[in-house]
Amino acid sequence: MGEVIVITSGKGGVGKTTTTANIGTALALAGKKVVLIDADIGLRNLDVVMGLENRIVYDLVDAVEGVCRLKQALIRDKRFEGLYLLPAAQTRDKNAVSPAQMQKLCEELKEHFDFILIDSPAGIEQGFKNAIAGADKAIVVTVPEVSAVRDADRIIGLLAANELIEPKLIVNRLRMDMVKRGDMMNIEDTIDILGVDLLGVVPDDENIIVSSNRGEPVVTEERSLAGQAYRNISQRLLGKEVPLINMETEDTFMEKLRRLFSGKNNKRY
Amino acid sequence: MKEQPVVFKGTRKGLHVYISNDSDMSEILEAAAGKLRSGKPFFEGATVNLTFLGREFDSREQAQLLELFSRYMKPGSVDFQIQPVSGEKQENPTTDHYHSFNGIEEGMTRFVRGTVRSGQRIFYEGNIVIIGDVNPGGEVIAGGNILVLGTMRGIAHAGATGNPDAVVASYCLQPTQLRIAGYIARAPEGETEKPPYPEVAYIKQEQLFIEPYLPGKGKQTDYILNNKV
Repeated sequence: MGEVIVITSGKGGVGKTTTTANIGTALALAGKKVVLIDADIGLRNLDVVMGLENRIVYDLVDAVEGVCRLKQALIRDKRFEGLYLLPAAQTRDKNAVSPAQMQKLCEELKEHFDFILIDSPAGIEQGFKNAIAGADKAIVVTVPEVSAVRDADRIIGLLAANELIEPKLIVNRLRMDMVKRGDMMNIEDTIDILGVDLLGVVPDDENIIVSSNRGEPVVTEERSLAGQAYRNISQRLLGKEVPLINMETEDTFMEKLRRLFSGKNNKRY
Repeated sequence: MKEQPVVFKGTRKGLHVYISNDSDMSEILEAAAGKLRSGKPFFEGATVNLTFLGREFDSREQAQLLELFSRYMKPGSVDFQIQPVSGEKQENPTTDHYHSFNGIEEGMTRFVRGTVRSGQRIFYEGNIVIIGDVNPGGEVIAGGNILVLGTMRGIAHAGATGNPDAVVASYCLQPTQLRIAGYIARAPEGETEKPPYPEVAYIKQEQLFIEPYLPGKGKQTDYILNNKV
């Protein structure tokens, strides 16, 4: 039996879709059978980020409504063994499916896959309710900004109300240089407010934009720091203990010297 | 003198609505709507057990009343009781005010385990103890005192039914807004230092004070507990 994990955030633009694509790809690279579900009906883009847009024939709504068999709607990613995508419908809206239908869909997919990752739409309305309906676990993505953390807090509350307690947290797009200057919330502050377990921290990385535009998840890039962060996150999902990556940027000689004297070690996130 | 068409009375079992026998339905609805409007922030989102006392209502009138009340609160149990026209005057409440909670020293207390997150609202007629944090966007509203055994970052309203003797205490008091009875205070602008010790907020001489309550620094606490204003 597989595990259904919903990836959600409340606020838009914090990286739910990127996170879903990358964790899914990393899990597939680790030899797992994975299906990604785009629950953002009407505003689909997981297919674009995965570079599978031109292969969509049937979508989630078709599968739910019985227009096609579920298997027909699944797109196999030829680049990664064991990775599938269930795309969202673009011409419909969130009311096209019900939470009960999503639950049934997840149950069916659980029998064939190790991991079912659901990319939730932003917001807390129908689309969010659909996305979490069939989930066993939840990952909350946030960025170190007050507004995103506030929304994440609300989402964690709503997840708890739907018996998805103890979600895991991913802090996305962290910029160490800004944290150092005191211009960005640090990880400790974020966790202190949200009070949930940290699954990983992903540094801000230009490569993400480049790879999203190309339709190639950044995890495939060995040298990308964000790719490494996503690989670590997927290893943690598989139950391995992986330390957080060192995101310190190159320091100047003076900074190194100062730290040496102040006795502070490099913080490891 | 004609008595008021509608009188609200808060009881331990919920809200009792006394309805005058010699008012017609439109008068009753209008008076009830006015009262509900003025008490909107208090009732909002709360589950309230309703008991209507007065003359007999037919099912259409009952539905009208219920519809009106459910616009302002979540009705819990609903009960319609017929009260005789006279002879029970002394039992009728003399004030039309939702009685303020008096159990500041000891009284009904609700314990909430876990963090009150953004968008969540905890409401209780008596005292509230939160075993956890209250995050920004979370609200705690109590008729009595509020104690937060964690960090208070949201909105706290103690003595919400009008009791200025109520206090708000927290291990780390950093609220967005603090209200006690009719008094409102908000956090200072800009970055604030995290207070290193537990604090208590209370009303003294029509002003809201925030002070540490640790032993040794406890003069204020003694004052609050022993000399009520």
